Amino acid sequence: MTRDWWKHLILMLGVIVVIAPFYMMVSYSFKSPGEIDRGEGGFFGRQEMMVDERCVKLRDPSRDDIAAAAPDYPGLSDSEIRDALVSAAEADCSMRPVVFNYTKAFTEAPLLRYLLNGVIVTASIFLIQVVVALPAAYALAKLKFWGREAVFGLVLFCLLIPVHAIALPLYIMLAKLGLTNTYAALVVPWTISVFGIFLMRQFFMTVPDDLIDAARMDGMGEFAIVWRVMLPTAIPALLAFAIFSVVAHWNDYFWPRIVVTGNRDLFTPPLGLREFKGDGDGSFFGPMMATATVIVMPLIVAFLLAQKRFIEGITLSGMK
Amino acid sequence: MAELSIANVTKRFGETEVLKGVSLDIADGEFVSLVGPSGCGKSTLLRIIAGLEAQSSGDIRIGGQSVAGHRAADRNLSMVFQSYALYPHLSVGENIAVPLKMRRLNGLQRLPVVGRLMPGARAMADEIGQDVEHAAQMLEIAHLLDRKPGQLSGGQRQRVALGRALVREPSAFLLDEPLSNLDAKLRVQTRAEIAQLHRRLAATFIYVTHDQVEAMTMSDRIAVMMGGRILQCASPEVVYDDPDRIEVAEFIGSPKINILPVEVDEDGQLVLAGRLLDLALPGRGKGVASLGLRPEALRLAGEQAPLRGHVVHSENLGSEMFVQIELQDQAQRVTLRATPHQRRALGLGAAVGLDFEAGNALIFDADGARVRTVAKVGLSKAEVA
Repeated sequence: MTRDWWKHLILMLGVIVVIAPFYMMVSYSFKSPGEIDRGEGGFFGRQEMMVDERCVKLRDPSRDDIAAAAPDYPGLSDSEIRDALVSAAEADCSMRPVVFNYTKAFTEAPLLRYLLNGVIVTASIFLIQVVVALPAAYALAKLKFWGREAVFGLVLFCLLIPVHAIALPLYIMLAKLGLTNTYAALVVPWTISVFGIFLMRQFFMTVPDDLIDAARMDGMGEFAIVWRVMLPTAIPALLAFAIFSVVAHWNDYFWPRIVVTGNRDLFTPPLGLREFKGDGDGSFFGPMMATATVIVMPLIVAFLLAQKRFIEGITLSGMK
Repeated sequence: MAELSIANVTKRFGETEVLKGVSLDIADGEFVSLVGPSGCGKSTLLRIIAGLEAQSSGDIRIGGQSVAGHRAADRNLSMVFQSYALYPHLSVGENIAVPLKMRRLNGLQRLPVVGRLMPGARAMADEIGQDVEHAAQMLEIAHLLDRKPGQLSGGQRQRVALGRALVREPSAFLLDEPLSNLDAKLRVQTRAEIAQLHRRLAATFIYVTHDQVEAMTMSDRIAVMMGGRILQCASPEVVYDDPDRIEVAEFIGSPKINILPVEVDEDGQLVLAGRLLDLALPGRGKGVASLGLRPEALRLAGEQAPLRGHVVHSENLGSEMFVQIELQDQAQRVTLRATPHQRRALGLGAAVGLDFEAGNALIFDADGARVRTVAKVGLSKAEVA
């Protein structure tokens, strides 16, 4: 055992704290409601066949159904036919809990639509943030102009303003413009990211001036330098920023909840979770956790793919 | 190709005046080095010529046209940077193609992906490809075209930077210490190659360096800069043999020129450490001056020599040797260039006498300006006695 074993021990404890909610989420998404309530079944649950009560209730045979089914059950009374139909429905509605949870996740609410909304909103936000932040960061890092330090001071100052402090005025502004319940309301308030400007500016400070002068000698204008020279060299930092931005806005519950009030077509994935909150008619933890799992999956996959470059970007060591 | 003229250019950064009125005319096809110690303003001057920096006053003309207010991109100059400044995300071929793409393709044709579909883009791209190939062959880097700059050695990067500069035909090439990141051996080799390249292209070269050897070996003319001024601009031979000022004489030449303080007596005759020399400055009164002697101007001589001392250090370079001699009467060392077969007479601690031809002595007045009217006089009887 090495001398630093205690460091690893502390890190392991940290890992457990971070992993535990994910473990619960994934585990619940596999289990039947009974297993969740009783806290049994291990990680995967027992995966016994279970009957979806609501499905059975929906297929509750009416008098007409019984009359229509009578020729199939010769010699049986109406109540016996009814019992036979109910048990047939129960057989049709029984399934493994994992299948139940995940089909519910996609059928109970238009989850794919929500995911699509999430992609549209986060991608638009990120793209516009880049379009704004890169030239701004370039100017702050590499161009000399009167008041540059003051402008950079303002950028730093804006970093200190919490979103929630300006949420109300923002909402009123959007409402007066008639933009609530639109994609614009979800995207526009986030398009200027001071964090992005700050991060990219710090990265651009490390880009040698000679490279920019060389580009000027080669005939590039300032905007061409931003897109043709600075952008490609800043890919690692940009990826780091992408993760921050996408994670923040993909997971955002607060702002979409405020500006999207009625229109379910505009719901972002976190709003979709609300569909399963138990309002008296019992809990839907299984499907809810299945939804949550589906929602975080794209982020986890993206992070794993970009992990190496992401960490490079955070340490700002992009230029060899 | 064009001639270039710099007229009275000054540059100040806040309070500090970096260039104090620099004027220089460079002929078409000439190779001019700007040489001087760090901080003398030579790089600033080059950046002003390039348009990367604006002068505070004065004018730059390229081919007779004033370029005041023109962006760097519009001046049609090429520049090679000390750090090479290659685009790290582009391959060697793409790096060399950038200046051509920026000039020959229009905005739509430069767009990624769809640019290739624009009318005329393909033909133009082929043409650019051929030019890149041609430049790469000239510099013998054709086999590297697909590599990224990160995969190249320093010398290779340097060639790519040269390739990017010469792929289009600029009015002039500006080179900012292009060799200082190379190791000594490669530097000597590349030095010769750049000089050959200049002869082949017959283009105007402006070369900034702090290394006087580079300046001496490559240039048609050397402009020695110090303290924001050009002290002297002339051919390497003239700058070496006939410097205008003591600073120029001290900067050019390795090992450094020997400077000895001398007095001027009432008759204008020079007195070195109490001994009269056979040199006089006609028309000058009593005062002080400096006597400059190149190491090769000193000769070994006998007991009666005007300079006497003993050997304190010697460096044998094989073909020649440099011997440091501490003078007897002054706590000062001079450097002598000797041939290796004189080594026996020059052992450590050996007492030696040195003399020199009056014609090889460079005299500077108290302000450091060269005194060119020097008369040779016979030594007076008083001194002989």
